[in-house]
Amino acid sequence: MTDIAAPILSLRGISKSYGGVDAVCGIDLDLHRGDVLAICGDNGAGKSSLIKIISGAQPPTAGTMTLRGEPVRFRSPHDALQKGVATIYQDLALAPRLSIAENVFMGAELTRRLGPIQLLDKARMRAEARRYLSRLSVDIPDTRRPVQRLSGGQRQAVAISRALRWDAEIIIMDEPTAALGVRETAQVLQLVRSLKADGRTVILISHNMRDVVALASRVVVLSRGRKVVDRPIDGLEPDDLSHMIMNGAERPAVAAAS
Amino acid sequence: MKPLIERYGTAFAGMAMVLAFVVFAPNFATAGNLLNVVKDTSFLAILALGFGLALTIAELDLSIAEVASLSAVTAGALIQGKYDPSLAVLAGLGVGLGLGLLNGLTVTALRVPSLIATLGTAAIARGLAFMETQGVAFVGRWPTSFTGLSRGTTLGVSNLVLWLVAATALTYGLIKWTRTGARMVATGEAEEAARLSGIATGRMKLLGLALSGLFAGVTAVLLAANVSSAAPNMAGDYFLYAIAAVLLGMTMFEPGHPNVPGTVFAAFVLKALGNGLVLMGAAYYVQDIMLGVIIIGSVAFSASVVKQAAFKV
Repeated sequence: MTDIAAPILSLRGISKSYGGVDAVCGIDLDLHRGDVLAICGDNGAGKSSLIKIISGAQPPTAGTMTLRGEPVRFRSPHDALQKGVATIYQDLALAPRLSIAENVFMGAELTRRLGPIQLLDKARMRAEARRYLSRLSVDIPDTRRPVQRLSGGQRQAVAISRALRWDAEIIIMDEPTAALGVRETAQVLQLVRSLKADGRTVILISHNMRDVVALASRVVVLSRGRKVVDRPIDGLEPDDLSHMIMNGAERPAVAAAS
Repeated sequence: MKPLIERYGTAFAGMAMVLAFVVFAPNFATAGNLLNVVKDTSFLAILALGFGLALTIAELDLSIAEVASLSAVTAGALIQGKYDPSLAVLAGLGVGLGLGLLNGLTVTALRVPSLIATLGTAAIARGLAFMETQGVAFVGRWPTSFTGLSRGTTLGVSNLVLWLVAATALTYGLIKWTRTGARMVATGEAEEAARLSGIATGRMKLLGLALSGLFAGVTAVLLAANVSSAAPNMAGDYFLYAIAAVLLGMTMFEPGHPNVPGTVFAAFVLKALGNGLVLMGAAYYVQDIMLGVIIIGSVAFSASVVKQAAFKV
């Protein structure tokens, strides 16, 4: 084992309880650079609680996180973002009536100083926004367009571009295809592949087993707050995954094969 | 073609109406009358720009008129007391800024909705204004160094017009060119998204409401200087006008968004409309009815633009 194999993010014994009820319990997890890790589980299995902890929205009740070998605590989603862990929220993330460039650079505007005043560098923001989008293989020539005029897939690309703007190494996508049609889903899957090609690490939460099998390199299954499966995706079929989620364990035949 | 109508339809309608007055309203197109309309536009537009800044961060400031009246009588009291006019100006602006900050803190720290918070502030300011004046107006021969702020000219241009230009340019520059302005807009458009992006949304809300109060203070000082008197309800007539200017302004230039050129242009149209109606012999109360129709109509119209845009997805 060399340093290259050292995980970018490690969780040890992460637990979260709400008033005595354990939402997640003693989760150990290692995330490696370039992984696309799918976190699966039925409703109430603890996916959202785990994601809230990793994204900085909630502190764990117990356990530790290590980011790039250093112990880390996230005070807020923005704190996590600054440390390179970005979460793509479904509906909350974008200001629909603002332009693509304004959305990509929201809270992290490019400016020129004029004495004490920070003037917006709009031309550079427009050009850079276009560049981020093209890195995701999305071509929108006019980044002054309001986000509400974009397709669902293009909006996801805008939200991801904002993560790239912060140079996030780990990008958490919570049900990225949930509300999308077939073509837009294909666009979003392509976005995830582009991120992987760009050397980013992705955590994917999805109910869609076909998406998971198509994209993920590894899968973790949660059941009643505990990690019951953690394995490479190789050879798994959507049915195997559904089975794991419903039974809270690997299917014996698959387990034997792996 | 359609976007042009969306963006400039009501602006053209306003221009057409002003032209109609030029043709049909007796004495409307005289230099003296037009200058009066423009001067009156200055008070209204500056007050409305403040309301627009509050609306930019998605808060309503219903206290602007009462805050302006209190600012005016505070400045007036100091002038009457023979204090230095610059002190009176500072006091007037300070009252506006102070009450604006109070609104901002009530909304951000106490989490009172701005509709309620500013309504409360309005009542308090009105009470204080009547207390300060005991219900009468301060009137006197005020020093020209004070009245000149509004009545004077600089290089042949009315100072009121210059203040209007300055307020317009500053507000436009803040919103369009600065990082702070972009963050105010983001806060107003999508507070949750702005917060998740690390924008201090509370501070932006505080700033928007503080500026709204400050602009009310500026309006108050200019109003008092113009008539060299200060009464406890002197800005009351501008309240509905200011709201109508911002909302009507939202139907033009950048439909659906409070915007600076729209606000200023709508302020001019509204003042021209009020003036033209008077010249054509319309009764005083017609203006109120007109304002009500414009307020409701503007929101109905700009909301439809928003819906339309949303359905294009």
